[in-house]
Amino acid sequence: MALLTPYSKVPELNTATVLLVENEEELQSKLANALVQYEKDFNVNVRLARKLPLPVENKETRPRIDLIVFLVNLLSERSLQSVESSLAHLHSDCFLGKVCFLVTDARCGSHTQERLVSVRKLAAAHQCPVLCAEHRTVDGVNAAAVRLLNILKVSAGMSPIATTALYLSSLTRCSVTSDLEED
Amino acid sequence: MTPAPSKQREMEQEAQSSQSSEAAAKAVLLEECEEQFGLLQKLQNEIILADTEANDDQSNEAVNRLIAVTSELEQWQEMEPKLLTTSPEVLLAVGKEELQRLNNQLKMVLSCSQAKLDAQKKILKREQTWQAEKKEALNAVCEKITRLQRENEKSEHSVLQDMKRKINNLKDYHGSLMEMLSDMLAEHFPLPDPHGNGTKKKRAAAYDAEINLISLSEIIERLTNKTLETPHDPYVTTDDTFWPPYTEMLLRNGIATRHPEDCNKIRLENFLDRKILNYNICIRSMLSSGLR
Repeated sequence: MALLTPYSKVPELNTATVLLVENEEELQSKLANALVQYEKDFNVNVRLARKLPLPVENKETRPRIDLIVFLVNLLSERSLQSVESSLAHLHSDCFLGKVCFLVTDARCGSHTQERLVSVRKLAAAHQCPVLCAEHRTVDGVNAAAVRLLNILKVSAGMSPIATTALYLSSLTRCSVTSDLEED
Repeated sequence: MTPAPSKQREMEQEAQSSQSSEAAAKAVLLEECEEQFGLLQKLQNEIILADTEANDDQSNEAVNRLIAVTSELEQWQEMEPKLLTTSPEVLLAVGKEELQRLNNQLKMVLSCSQAKLDAQKKILKREQTWQAEKKEALNAVCEKITRLQRENEKSEHSVLQDMKRKINNLKDYHGSLMEMLSDMLAEHFPLPDPHGNGTKKKRAAAYDAEINLISLSEIIERLTNKTLETPHDPYVTTDDTFWPPYTEMLLRNGIATRHPEDCNKIRLENFLDRKILNYNICIRSMLSSGLR
């Protein structure tokens, strides 16, 4: 089983690569455009996928991936399930700061609340941050892109004040409090 | 490992963007870049080797994390801060950019915290007004409680006073009613006039009986007294002192009834609210029949 490993390739100069994994493929392209638009200081390389494992053919040409973002749409059950199955294909070193969860439609009903709780538990188990985004408006997509870029900068090593990805993930990781668990 | 590429990228940026850098500074920077890149390659090769050597044990993530954090900590402790390069133009440009970025970030932080402060102030004001309202309500309720308690305490006293007042009112009313009744009776039902119109015969008959004739009010008084004092025997014997038309009137109007066995005894009829009605009826009948 080929796992996605974080450090197997040499990083490219002045570029950061982010992989957006989404089952529905609706937010991916919008977010990708926003990401590329917003960052002027370095190149942002956005790769899109539906699920892991990534196809083997591209393995050689694929650059080193700095950040893997799992986009979860809380309105569909399959979204969460595909993310869970994709997580198995990640090398465990990836969770040290190179994985992030982005959920959408977190306020749309009772099912979404339950799924949000399970996403948060999943993220807390792997100690990764969870972002909530609103994907129907342009402003929401731009805001999500800006936040992702902040995390991307750090995990690609672009942050000059020597913040490492591991350190940032310890700061921003999702924590499940005991009242959430009681729910 | 990660600080090195960042510095390297920065140096590249600086090298690319600064227009006025001298060729020497550029050369120095490029040399440093090459050095760092060579270091990077070496490290990367080592990593790849280590990866292929170690079997992929899916060990506990927490353990992994712990190892990673401790090793990073050691690295940071060992590392000593050093300047990128001794060339002053590069340092100046880098410093300028850093300070501007920091300035922007601090401005954002300032505006954000001011907005938060304003929001908190608004919340504080709202809560204070809410608290004032609730305090007022509390005061009003406390006052009401004390008032009710006071009223409860003196309730026995006040009941007594109410009763006394009611009794006095009733007595006054009763007195006025009796006065009116006696006035009315005296006016409309006087004692038959011995010197009134009538033939000699009547005069004679009347004269005999008129000596001790009692007025209607006297008759009624006697009847009521007898009923109230001796309720078991409310009968009054009619004798010559009772003027017969009066007794007939009382009997006919249902104010008095005869004793079932003795035709000379009459008693007051015993119903409360029909008394007034009957008085009305008898007055009207008297006025209409012209007994005056």
